[in-house]
Amino acid sequence: MGVMTIFSLPKSVRRLVDKSFEYWLSRRIPNRKEHQLNSRNIMIYPTRFGLSYLGFVVLVFLLGTNYQNNIILLFSYLLASLFISVMLHSFYNFSQLRFYSMAKQQGYAGDELYFPIQITAVKMHYDINVHFTDRTLNSQIERIVQCPRGSQEIKLSYKSSKRGKHYLGRVTLFSEYSLGIFKSKSILDFGHCAIIYPKPTNLIVGQYQLSPQSDEQSIESYQTSNLVGTDDFSELKSFVRGESRARTAWKQLAKGQGHYSKHYQANQGQLKWLKLDDMPSNDVETKLSYLCFLINELTATNQHFGLALSTDTNNRSMNIPPNTGINHQQACLTALALY
Amino acid sequence: MNFFKRKTTQPSSGCLGKGDNSNKINFSLSIKNTWLLWLCQCLNIAVIALELSTWMLAIISLSLVWQALLLHQNRDRVKAKKPIKTGIQLNHRQNTHLNKQRVTNVAPILLGIFALLGCLAIAITAKEVGILTSMLHLLCFSYVLKAFELKARSDFYQLFLLGLFVLASSLIFRQDLAFTLITFTLLVINLAVLLQLFSLEKAFATNIKVVVILLGQSILLAIVLFLVFPRLSPFWQVPLAKSAETGLPDTVKPGDIANLTRSTKLAFRADFGQQKAPAYSQLYWRAMVLEDYDGRQWSKQKAARTTPSNTVAGADKSSNDKSLTFDASTTDVLPLNYQVIVEPSFQKYLFALAPAVVAGDKSGIKAQTGYTFSSTSVISQAKSYQLASYLTAPLALELSQKSKQVNLRFPEGSNPRLEQFALQLQHNYADVQARAQAVLTFINKEKYAYTLQPQLLDNNSLDQFFFDTQSGFCVHYASAFTFLMRASGVPARMVTGYLGGEYNGDDAQQFNSKGHLSIYQYDAHAWSEIWVAGKGWLRIDPTSAVDPQRVNSGWSSELLQQQSALNNDLISLYQLKNSALLNALRLQFDALDYQWTRWVIGFTTKQQYNLFKNLFGKMASWKLALVIGVSLIISMATFMLFLHLLNRAKHTQQVLSKWQVVYQKALAQLAKQGMGKPAGMTVNDFAKQVREQYPELAIAFTRLSASYNSLCYQTLSINEQDKLALTMQHHYRQFLHILKKQS
Repeated sequence: MGVMTIFSLPKSVRRLVDKSFEYWLSRRIPNRKEHQLNSRNIMIYPTRFGLSYLGFVVLVFLLGTNYQNNIILLFSYLLASLFISVMLHSFYNFSQLRFYSMAKQQGYAGDELYFPIQITAVKMHYDINVHFTDRTLNSQIERIVQCPRGSQEIKLSYKSSKRGKHYLGRVTLFSEYSLGIFKSKSILDFGHCAIIYPKPTNLIVGQYQLSPQSDEQSIESYQTSNLVGTDDFSELKSFVRGESRARTAWKQLAKGQGHYSKHYQANQGQLKWLKLDDMPSNDVETKLSYLCFLINELTATNQHFGLALSTDTNNRSMNIPPNTGINHQQACLTALALY
Repeated sequence: MNFFKRKTTQPSSGCLGKGDNSNKINFSLSIKNTWLLWLCQCLNIAVIALELSTWMLAIISLSLVWQALLLHQNRDRVKAKKPIKTGIQLNHRQNTHLNKQRVTNVAPILLGIFALLGCLAIAITAKEVGILTSMLHLLCFSYVLKAFELKARSDFYQLFLLGLFVLASSLIFRQDLAFTLITFTLLVINLAVLLQLFSLEKAFATNIKVVVILLGQSILLAIVLFLVFPRLSPFWQVPLAKSAETGLPDTVKPGDIANLTRSTKLAFRADFGQQKAPAYSQLYWRAMVLEDYDGRQWSKQKAARTTPSNTVAGADKSSNDKSLTFDASTTDVLPLNYQVIVEPSFQKYLFALAPAVVAGDKSGIKAQTGYTFSSTSVISQAKSYQLASYLTAPLALELSQKSKQVNLRFPEGSNPRLEQFALQLQHNYADVQARAQAVLTFINKEKYAYTLQPQLLDNNSLDQFFFDTQSGFCVHYASAFTFLMRASGVPARMVTGYLGGEYNGDDAQQFNSKGHLSIYQYDAHAWSEIWVAGKGWLRIDPTSAVDPQRVNSGWSSELLQQQSALNNDLISLYQLKNSALLNALRLQFDALDYQWTRWVIGFTTKQQYNLFKNLFGKMASWKLALVIGVSLIISMATFMLFLHLLNRAKHTQQVLSKWQVVYQKALAQLAKQGMGKPAGMTVNDFAKQVREQYPELAIAFTRLSASYNSLCYQTLSINEQDKLALTMQHHYRQFLHILKKQS
């Protein structure tokens, strides 16, 4: 950053440089879930200290030359060649590490999100630091002082108060091991993105009544609402491997009639639609927060509901047909996040 | 355990700037590290301590003690705070709070005042101690003070570089092998302290090992650089070391050289190459000729005193000069060629076996009157020169009138009893040589003692020595003898230098022997010369009359014992020479040190040029430059390749054993079927997965996996291993069979 301010290129040129660098980077280190560090994706350059170290070596060389002192010269040559061997050591300390990370994480606004990165090493590595390349994300640098053979997990945290889908960009990994003279660095792209749901806001249940969809479609859906549930017994089916034994019809099994399992039906007295427009607020964000809360509540009580974010009922992408379960909840929350 | 905390707002001083603003790792040093750093500082200072003034040393040790106290206090505080702190490594915020308390240990104002006072003191004493020493003072002072404000990582780096600079500048003063080894050991320790920053959890010993490996790998390139990199002439004038002069003094009074003999320091070395070294009693290394006697002490004749008075005297002197330096063409004596390597003495005189001429490179060496040589500049580093000596050739067959006058002059009435004795001798012995012999016989017959601890003389009276105390060292005898000769009308003068030397090599008596003579300060000696018409200056050593052993083979054990009693070295020379093992070790180290001095310290531009000439023949300078450049690049490339291979070797070393190959093959087969094994998955888990997806393969693959597991992780004898490997191969064949059938 300091270098940038020194040169302070015109903005357009800088953007061009940045862009071409991005392009070069994306070709050299493409988006993948798993990366292995090698000479292709490791960048190595002297740190500030490394440069001052070089300056120091020149100083010692001058001292040796001015005093015509062979031992001081030898000292400076040794320090100079140490510079090169440290570079190689730095590279070997960093290479051959394997990183694996899941791309997507979800969470509520204001919550800390953790992106785990699994590090697999075949030998001992030292001083591995990981952070998001984008420093505006305000994530802390995570450091592994010693990374022994085997697998380790490092968690990058990310926090945002804004709902939506955030692309977090690349992850910078660096190490200054051996002597801090060189920095081995790699900018890996795991395609990290965070889906931030709105922060749930408490809504007194009485305040809001879930309303049935009032148009014709709803009648149709009413009829098909007898869905699998836990409330009422509906039928016996022959046992399929993998089913819970709690549902085994023991009576029938004991009578020797075969292994059956009981199936239940949820009582869907009313089809519930959560509507954005029904939320008691003028602010869209607040409405979304309420919706978020309701979705969680309904899922917790295992109720059937659908989500309607647009008034146009035919808009498939904005309206999610009624369902239950975790997956449904996630789909709804994602829809809220992306609204 | 974060010890110091970096403050991003803290402006860091010095050239390094804000080293790590871009990465916000907080700077931390563990307690162990801070102590190591402290220790390292102490050692670095200790290396250069001899060159610092006493008051500076006092200030520095005060600061170090102060720092140690602070460290101690901090440790107590950390102990007290420990229960609060958990999750030390990652818990940043909590530590910030604690650290802020700790950093404020030393008030910056207090430190500033201290620094200011120190700088003032350095400035005031600058004139007195010389520029170089005051610069050293400044360096060491800042080195010690810097440790008080370790707030950021860049501060630590600065401290590290300062430490290295202290080490480098200590090499200005001494370059011998032992000292260089110490310095390089300290370099290793310094680097290990730095490395400790990046591998906190490793033991310090392991870090030292890593650093030694790193330096070991670097040394190859360093040597190439040393041999190849052009040696430049100094860019600008530098203040020279104003070290204490060692060796022979300019003026000599009785008792002077006895003090010098307490030192066991090396004075110089001589290498006769393939030739046989002369006998011990011939090794009179001439350094100075002292012709002026003022009744108390002997000093060099001052040429400057006579020259300005009249031009005639000056012309006379120049002709005098000519006759007093040796001309090799006038003699048919075979020359003895040898090389002399002088240790830094911070004086100008050089050593030669008279008469001699400079054989090799004449630059920087001046032939002086009286068959001595001197360097054109003060010898502050090991210096070597080639000489050819014509040992049996006579010295100055003609003596100028002026020279004769000088060598007969003595303050009359300064030693009346000796004068009287001289007249008596003159009367009894007409022949000059017989007269000299008579004195020697007198000394031999009477109860004279040769001792390092002669009784003190009033006003350096030679009378008192010769007739009353009768005990003295070489200067006493030489002085008295020269005085007697002058008083009896024989031109005589005092010569100082060294006698003998310790032979270090295979066997001194063999031809073709390889070895060298080491001449130490305790070999310092003084003798007389008398001028005899037709024979020139004859060397007469009165010491031979009182202690023949000294002249023929060196110090007697009695003298050695005296010497041990006088100086309080840890291991005295007497003990060294008495213990065969220690002595052998000492000689071995001396031989190493000699090679070091000769090849490393004495490696000059000329030698470098010769090396190239030997390797590539004579060539134009641009070609030479090209060769240098190319060889540098090549060596750099080979060096990197070498390191690359060294690091790669670890992986190729893991040769896959038979069963591993089999298992890998099976995995490859499965991968073809679209069933790859993720790297992180265990063998058992993968077998389970295979069972689920390909029930047909389940049995064969599970067996294969089981055998593989037991081969990998069970301790089996070689027999069992072979058996199991066979069965595993069997399983593999089955597995292949089923696979084929399926497809």
